[in-house]
Amino acid sequence: MNVVNPIITIRNVVKSFGAFLALDDVSLTVEPGQKVVVIGPSGSGKSTLLRTINQLEEISSGSIVVDGQEVSDPKNDINRIREEVGMVFQSFNLFRHKTVLENLTLAPIKLKKEPVKEAEKRAMELLDKVGMVDKATSFPVQLSVGQQQRVAIARALAMTPKIMLFDEPTSALDPEMIGEVLEVMVTLAREGMTMVVVTHEMGFAREVGDKVVFMDEGKIIEIASPDQFFDHPENDRTRKFLEQIL
Amino acid sequence: MREKKVVIEVGDGAAIPDPDDKGLFTAWRISFFGTIAIIVYLLVTKPDPYLDIIKFLPDGIVVTFKVTFASIGLALILGLIAGLGRISKNRWFNLAASTYIEVVRGIPLLVQLFYIYFALGHLIRVPDMVAAIIAMGFCYGAYMGEVFRAGINSIDDGQTEASLSLGFNRSQTMRYVILPQAWRTILPPVGNEFIALLKDTSLVSILAVSDILRRGREFASESFLYFETYTMVALIYLLITLVLSKLLSNMENRLSHYERR
Ligand SMILES: Nc1ncnc2c1ncn2[C@@H]1O[C@H](COP(=O)(O)OP(=O)(O)O)[C@@H](O)[C@H]1O
Ligand SMILES: [Mg+2]
Repeated sequence: MNVVNPIITIRNVVKSFGAFLALDDVSLTVEPGQKVVVIGPSGSGKSTLLRTINQLEEISSGSIVVDGQEVSDPKNDINRIREEVGMVFQSFNLFRHKTVLENLTLAPIKLKKEPVKEAEKRAMELLDKVGMVDKATSFPVQLSVGQQQRVAIARALAMTPKIMLFDEPTSALDPEMIGEVLEVMVTLAREGMTMVVVTHEMGFAREVGDKVVFMDEGKIIEIASPDQFFDHPENDRTRKFLEQIL
Repeated sequence: MREKKVVIEVGDGAAIPDPDDKGLFTAWRISFFGTIAIIVYLLVTKPDPYLDIIKFLPDGIVVTFKVTFASIGLALILGLIAGLGRISKNRWFNLAASTYIEVVRGIPLLVQLFYIYFALGHLIRVPDMVAAIIAMGFCYGAYMGEVFRAGINSIDDGQTEASLSLGFNRSQTMRYVILPQAWRTILPPVGNEFIALLKDTSLVSILAVSDILRRGREFASESFLYFETYTMVALIYLLITLVLSKLLSNMENRLSHYERR
């Protein structure tokens, strides 16, 4: 048995909002280069799980170790950990007062003290990768939602993260734009990026997923390979959910 | 996509000219050109006493502007601190800011002016104008604090989350992401406060500061031309606020460039 140290280790994590348990004793490991797809009904805790990984949501108990560092430990600099963990949001959240290029260069220039020229050069390479070079000087409002999401992915990549988190990156897109964003994500996956993706795009899950995590009511119900998960789901709830969405 | 939309109420500053009003007769134009016409008419038809009055006022105009700009500068600094305090998770910072705002808003400006002016005069000797500026700035800082708070709150939480997820800390997020965007929401009400403050500086004429109104009072008490003097004083104030409101609305337009499709 080959031993690979996981890059993310989530152990017995509980997250409560008041009396409500959004995450109820969740454990999960992600190895370097792995693509983990998280699915489950709305309100099952998928976003909360993702957001605990980079501490946008503080955990109530348990442990999350990212690249060797416990994220809930106040002794660790959470901002440095976050630099290693890129995040792509359902609603893109591009900086509205910055151009596309500035959206990509802001963090590298301010946080990594990259020279402006260098940061811009790398930003243009990333924009090329997501097919957005010709919009470098546009403001976010001037872009379609699909274009905004591609820029948002490039912005996260500009910090050269080791891990990328995607929270329903295509849910706010018009159907004809979903393809262009998934294409960028597939390319990223092929390049070996470690990815945790919350999505309902089953085609994507099958194509690039190494394992599928099914969540319901704050719990992980089933973890399986995509083929196993879609073709031979073990759990009743999983089966019901798949019947509904497929 | 969830996006917070906050409309900040227009205060008692002045009617900011409506940039969308493309008609020939706007309220601003009527007031502005009307004011100029009346001033010119008075100066031409009755140079005595109006020419003498208007010659007597410029020193006061300079003082009014000095007090206004210095006070607004102080108010903006205090306002930013108070605004950040009001949204702060630090209990004591938050409480201090809220108390400051609560106290200041509960006392009439004129009473505060007297109070700070004389209380301060007891403790340290400062020039009259400095005492007036501190009093005005302290008072308007509280109102500004609420404006800053509303402006910061108007920015979608997603902006903060995106910034944090890149590795920015809270204060960097405030500086690079939130405040530059909030500024646009804040500018109209800040402009209003600015104009309201300019008008309220007329109160400092009571504190031996020679602003426009005090200069007018001096002239009137010597010449006994109360009606003529205060007519001119009112027209000058009106002219100044009209010009300022126009400048502010132009600035607003330029600041919103990135929202244009
Ligand atoms: N800040 C919050 N305060 C209170 N409840 C929350 C908060 N964030 C999420 N929740 C609740 O936690 C549950 C899981 O939310 P979420 O992780 O967003 O679900 P999902 O992404 O699977 O749709 C939901 O019931 C939601 O209402
Ligand atoms: Mg969600």
